[in-house]
Amino acid sequence: MKFPSPLSPIHDALLTGAAVWNSADSLPPSVSQFDASDPQKAALLGVADHSHLPRAGVKGPGATGWLAELGLSLPSRSNSWLPFPDGGLIGRLGNTEYLIEGNAARVAQIMQTPRAPGVYPVLRQDAVFALCGSRVNELLLQTCNVDFRCLVADPTQLLLTSMAGVSVLVLVAGNKIHPVYRLWCDGTYGLYLWETLTGIAEELGGGGIGLDALP
Amino acid sequence: MPWRLLRFATTKKHPEPRMFTEHAELKPSYDVVIIGGGGHGLAAAYYLGRDHGITNVAVLEKGYIGGGNTGRNTTIIRSNYLTPEGVKFYDESVNLWQDLSQEFDLNLFYANRGHFTLAHTDSALRTMRWRAEVNKHYGVDSEVVGPDFVKRAAPMINLSCGHAPILGALYHAPGSIARHDAVAWGYGRGADMRGAEIHQQTEVLGIDVRGGKVCGVQTSRGYIATDKVLCAVAGFTPRILDMVDIKTPITIHPLQAMVSEPLKPWLDPILVSGSLHIYVSQSARGELVMGASLDPYELHSTRSTLDFVEGLSAHMLDMFPFLSHVKVMRQWAGMADMTPDFAPIMGKTPIEGFYLDAGWGTWGFKATPVCGKTMAHTIATDTPHPLINGFSLDRFRNYSLTGEKGAASVGH
Amino acid sequence: MKIMTCPFNGPRPVSEFFYWGEIRPMPDPATCSDESWADYIFNRNGAPGVKQEWWCHIASNTWFIAERNTEKDLVLRTYLFEEEL
Ligand SMILES: Cc1cc2nc3c(=O)[nH]c(=O)nc-3n(C[C@H](O)[C@H](O)[C@H](O)COP(=O)(O)OP(=O)(O)OC[C@H]3O[C@@H](n4cnc5c(N)ncnc54)[C@H](O)[C@@H]3O)c2cc1C
Repeated sequence: MKFPSPLSPIHDALLTGAAVWNSADSLPPSVSQFDASDPQKAALLGVADHSHLPRAGVKGPGATGWLAELGLSLPSRSNSWLPFPDGGLIGRLGNTEYLIEGNAARVAQIMQTPRAPGVYPVLRQDAVFALCGSRVNELLLQTCNVDFRCLVADPTQLLLTSMAGVSVLVLVAGNKIHPVYRLWCDGTYGLYLWETLTGIAEELGGGGIGLDALP
Repeated sequence: MPWRLLRFATTKKHPEPRMFTEHAELKPSYDVVIIGGGGHGLAAAYYLGRDHGITNVAVLEKGYIGGGNTGRNTTIIRSNYLTPEGVKFYDESVNLWQDLSQEFDLNLFYANRGHFTLAHTDSALRTMRWRAEVNKHYGVDSEVVGPDFVKRAAPMINLSCGHAPILGALYHAPGSIARHDAVAWGYGRGADMRGAEIHQQTEVLGIDVRGGKVCGVQTSRGYIATDKVLCAVAGFTPRILDMVDIKTPITIHPLQAMVSEPLKPWLDPILVSGSLHIYVSQSARGELVMGASLDPYELHSTRSTLDFVEGLSAHMLDMFPFLSHVKVMRQWAGMADMTPDFAPIMGKTPIEGFYLDAGWGTWGFKATPVCGKTMAHTIATDTPHPLINGFSLDRFRNYSLTGEKGAASVGH
Repeated sequence: MKIMTCPFNGPRPVSEFFYWGEIRPMPDPATCSDESWADYIFNRNGAPGVKQEWWCHIASNTWFIAERNTEKDLVLRTYLFEEEL
């Protein structure tokens, strides 16, 4: 069964002449290259859009048991996450809420399996961005009250905080030398946050980049 | 020092005029005791003397006069409210303001600037149309205008305001500002000249109520007998009401403000934006006087915060990007006595002889003259002045609120 | 910057939180008088003191209780509702 995968909440802001689009994989289109200077921007401060990835959410007192029965291995701590062996990730937001992303088969399974009592669907229409580059900390200083470097020390952590006044969920991917921060926010704030982040990034010598340029 | 100058310093013929007499002692009793030497308390003392011939009056102020919210507010005066009760009441106040400087023989720097409440959303614009209709119905000058009109009145404005473009505004031509502490001094001096006594550094510690009637007040300087007490203490209202066991919905939240360094005059009107949580005017000294919404939680403190300056400055720059190099000079806070319907609580209380003028939150400076006048009437005749009928404490027992939020708060 | 400690997410700037007022017992609306219902919905304990209040960490939607001195602005402790049951 096919379920609708919406366009990125900031899709229109990405429609620049130079952008190279990736429309493979039956997913909504994503930008693989913003323009020719992506690598330079990514080295300093790049902001990329990940919103096109498939995604599902469940919560409720029955959620942990139900997901385990589906054969998923779950993060044991709240506010932590695990990668799936075959791609994508599962995050545990609080005691009884989960976010599953980036693995089309898993997402389809969750969307299609009849839910058990005490399991409620959570509509996920997030805007999801990735931040990378040597000057990323300068951007965080301007927009956020929590130092994301604490995530590098414990990469399984999920952080729930606010950035530029918008509630966000944050984790670190990439590696210790080139951390990539992934952040989720409510899709309706997506454009505002994208413009705010890319605006600051441009001032610091970076800007919007395509997904191919991420380390 | 030149001799001629010294002569003025030593002669009794040219003594420095004091604003009001300092009384060494409290009398053992007064006809009326007013708690709180802010604008409201002093105005009540003034009109008690002027309109009702009641001059055996003491105003007790625990600090110095005008040191409460009267001396901390951003001095916006307007009458474009939302409810009929509110519009009539504030309109009377605006009328009283007109000749106050004359009456006091004191320059209040009352400046008629015009007042814009900016709309950044359709729903804000809808409330404004409603307000304009209510206002016009009661003869108050008020109309909805478009962005071009705003731009002409404030050419430096950035109409796109970051992410919240201006769709229109409620324009209120009579909107004005005034020098706040001069208002306290003017009323204080006028009351003093008519015989009322102002006692600073005199804190009320208890209220003597017997058989449901007021008999006196206990102060930091001794006991005073009286059978009429007016409580006009703004941010301290719940503490005084606790002494007499009267319950109200009032909660205290800090309200902060700040001023910039002085600039050449460039902003004539008063601008308010609910969406950006700012209001701003330029004072006679050239400083931008700026405020934002209430602090979000209950607090009985006048400490100001960095969060406030940062947030307000960011929004100011959305509206006026060219101010990015202007410095903030001072910031401060007052304790706002908030009510759930954004209307005040005025009039009589369940205790005989105990009158209340409170719940003035973030909007009571403009009402100073009319509050003084109507409370003086209420105290002198022991019947509420008709203009304050919509503001009685009873409305919270009878489920009949006076919903003024749409016109009173910045962040509605 | 003022700091509030979310029992779940740790210390954060107070701007990440939402304040929902003092915890007050609700009278039974079916049996109480109009007057005590009005007292409950409108009146507040407005004088300063140490109060138990509802707060919410917005980003994680964590509701919890803060015991706070409303005159000194001191948070004495924070805990989840369940912890007190
Ligand atoms: C930052 C800020 C901006 C504002 N902006 C505006 C505006 O633009 N327009 C507007 O209309 N309104 C505004 N307001 C609201 C306005 O300032 C007040 O509603 C109004 O000044 C209240 O006047 P008042 O005389 O009742 O109280 P106050 O001036 O606060 O006077 C009360 C006095 O009572 C004294 N007192 C307290 N307890 C005792 C005691 N136990 N014994 C003796 N004395 C006691 C206090 O020391 C104080 O001096 C603003 C308020 C603030 C804080």
